[in-house]
Amino acid sequence: MGILDKKLSLRNRSKMLVGVWEDEDKLVEATSALVHDGIHIHDIYTPYPVHGLERIIGARRSRLARVAFLCGLVGFTLMTTMIWYMYVLDWPVNVGNKPVRFTPSWIPVMFEGTVLCTAYGMGFIFFWRNRLLMGVKNDLLDERQTDDRMVIAIECVDGMNESDVLNTMKSNGAVELRELNHGVQTTI
Amino acid sequence: MIHDSLIRERLVTGDKTAADVTRDITRPILNQPTKSWKIGFTLSLIFLGIFGISLFNTIWTGIGVWNINKTVMWGWDITNFVFWVGIGHAGTLISAVLLLFRQKWRMSINRSAEAMTIFAVVCAAMFPVFHMGRVWVGYWALPLPNAFGSLWVNFNSPLLWDVFAISTYFSVSLLFWYIGLIPDIATIRDKVKTKTAKFWYGFFSMGWTGSTRTWARYELISLILAGLSTPLVLSVHTIVSTDFATSIVPGWHTTIFPPYFVAGAIFSGFGMVATLLIVARKVMNYENYITIGHLEAMTKIIMVTGSIVGIAYLTEFFIAWYSGVEYEQYAFINRATGPYWWAYWSMMSCNLIAPQVFWFKWARTTPWFIFIMSIVVNVGMWFERFVIIVTSLHRDYLPSSWVMYSGSLTEIGLFLGTFGIFFTCFFLFAKYMPVINMAEVKTILRNRE
Repeated sequence: MGILDKKLSLRNRSKMLVGVWEDEDKLVEATSALVHDGIHIHDIYTPYPVHGLERIIGARRSRLARVAFLCGLVGFTLMTTMIWYMYVLDWPVNVGNKPVRFTPSWIPVMFEGTVLCTAYGMGFIFFWRNRLLMGVKNDLLDERQTDDRMVIAIECVDGMNESDVLNTMKSNGAVELRELNHGVQTTI
Repeated sequence: MIHDSLIRERLVTGDKTAADVTRDITRPILNQPTKSWKIGFTLSLIFLGIFGISLFNTIWTGIGVWNINKTVMWGWDITNFVFWVGIGHAGTLISAVLLLFRQKWRMSINRSAEAMTIFAVVCAAMFPVFHMGRVWVGYWALPLPNAFGSLWVNFNSPLLWDVFAISTYFSVSLLFWYIGLIPDIATIRDKVKTKTAKFWYGFFSMGWTGSTRTWARYELISLILAGLSTPLVLSVHTIVSTDFATSIVPGWHTTIFPPYFVAGAIFSGFGMVATLLIVARKVMNYENYITIGHLEAMTKIIMVTGSIVGIAYLTEFFIAWYSGVEYEQYAFINRATGPYWWAYWSMMSCNLIAPQVFWFKWARTTPWFIFIMSIVVNVGMWFERFVIIVTSLHRDYLPSSWVMYSGSLTEIGLFLGTFGIFFTCFFLFAKYMPVINMAEVKTILRNRE
């Protein structure tokens, strides 16, 4: 289960470079510059959504909409089958001598069930995909990253020129640069 | 390149930074409760006590303590049910519909409106549940096998549609609200000092870090939930209206009910949002976040929906005359000139005539006046439901069953008590959760084009 996999935790990463920003425009410029230099950005943490960042770092477009559609289909099928079983197959009720088969009066319940399954199915997938679970420990790189600061995290790999990366971050408005080693941060 | 707008009015005033937003919005959470909060909360608890006593009386003695009878079988209970469901509608409207229309002014008010939705739906659900009489077999309303004591539920009945609609509406609104709250709970988690607070905010923040990928998915799920909630909000009050419209009772048997009820729900919901936010902005010093511009936008919606409701009232009269059905005609003449004329004209004055004052800029931009008007709107909307239910029922086809009806002390107590539930929940919410969506508000600080 990815959601509980401790290896994915930032605390267990061998070496990472961390840059902190206070201005969203400079953060976007820095991200573009780093990507332009061929640096793979592990992730960016912001206190509010900064539009376009996910495209710059090449994050894959979310497939939540498809999940929603599938959950909707499941909900629709479940509700239709439920009403058909109860109302047609198991115990047909004679209401005003009207035929016992699909009628528009089924629609409200089918609709509500479809919406409920779509919302909750999509919600659970959203939590799972983002490793959001009640009680999970948070991986904060900066204690103000949920307040007013923005953080770029870059995982060090073989062949990466670390001083070049740090210079790019510095020249693009980083207010603080740090190194993260197995959960221990040191200011550079 | 994105530029700051030179012509668009700022949605957040006072040149706030992201850090200011966090500090201002979390202040009530991080500090001890203020005197006004304590007074408000104590008052709410008193009303909650009234609810407890009334409910105990209802369950212990039975539904007989209500004044409903064979002719007026729905009285204050269903009036209150429709009243509270209606109030609940503005939350989803602000969160969902205004999100789809990219109305950024919603960002300062959506959180409290969503909370209002959830608390209002809880209040609403009380009435049909306890009207069942034997509340302990309330689960029979769910589709359960015959072995549980009844046949399968009747899928042709709007009352069953209501069970599905209200429970779905509550569940989806709760999810929408909670997902929206997670980033802000994480912000509070990183600000609180005590161990207990850190644990609970940490627990509910689900390990949120603000990762870019998560934000992208968060925005997508918000959009899809908004897309789902928009037809949902329309369906819920449409279904509530079919509780009446599918009957053959003169005054209820009318096809105009679904749009008329939806407009009325939005109207009353915005009335309640205005009531709450005008108090909140003053008491919590949120004038820079909930600006006069926000209040003005809400008053415009109140005026439009009030006018739609007004047209519906007049259309009902016209159709009654045009149909040539004497029972229908009598039902409406009786509403306006019969023994409940005072209720009808209270409704007309509060819902149709009073909101027209919002054509004037002064009325739309004066908080104390909007506050009074928001109460007038809610009084009017309560009377609307009372008029629809009681005046239609009390004089039916059979003159020998005609009766007069007024709420008993227990019924009145239950209604007042739901305000206790509503405000107790709201005060607790205002103390422990941010009443303004910090993460969203931070995106509009720079007034981007």
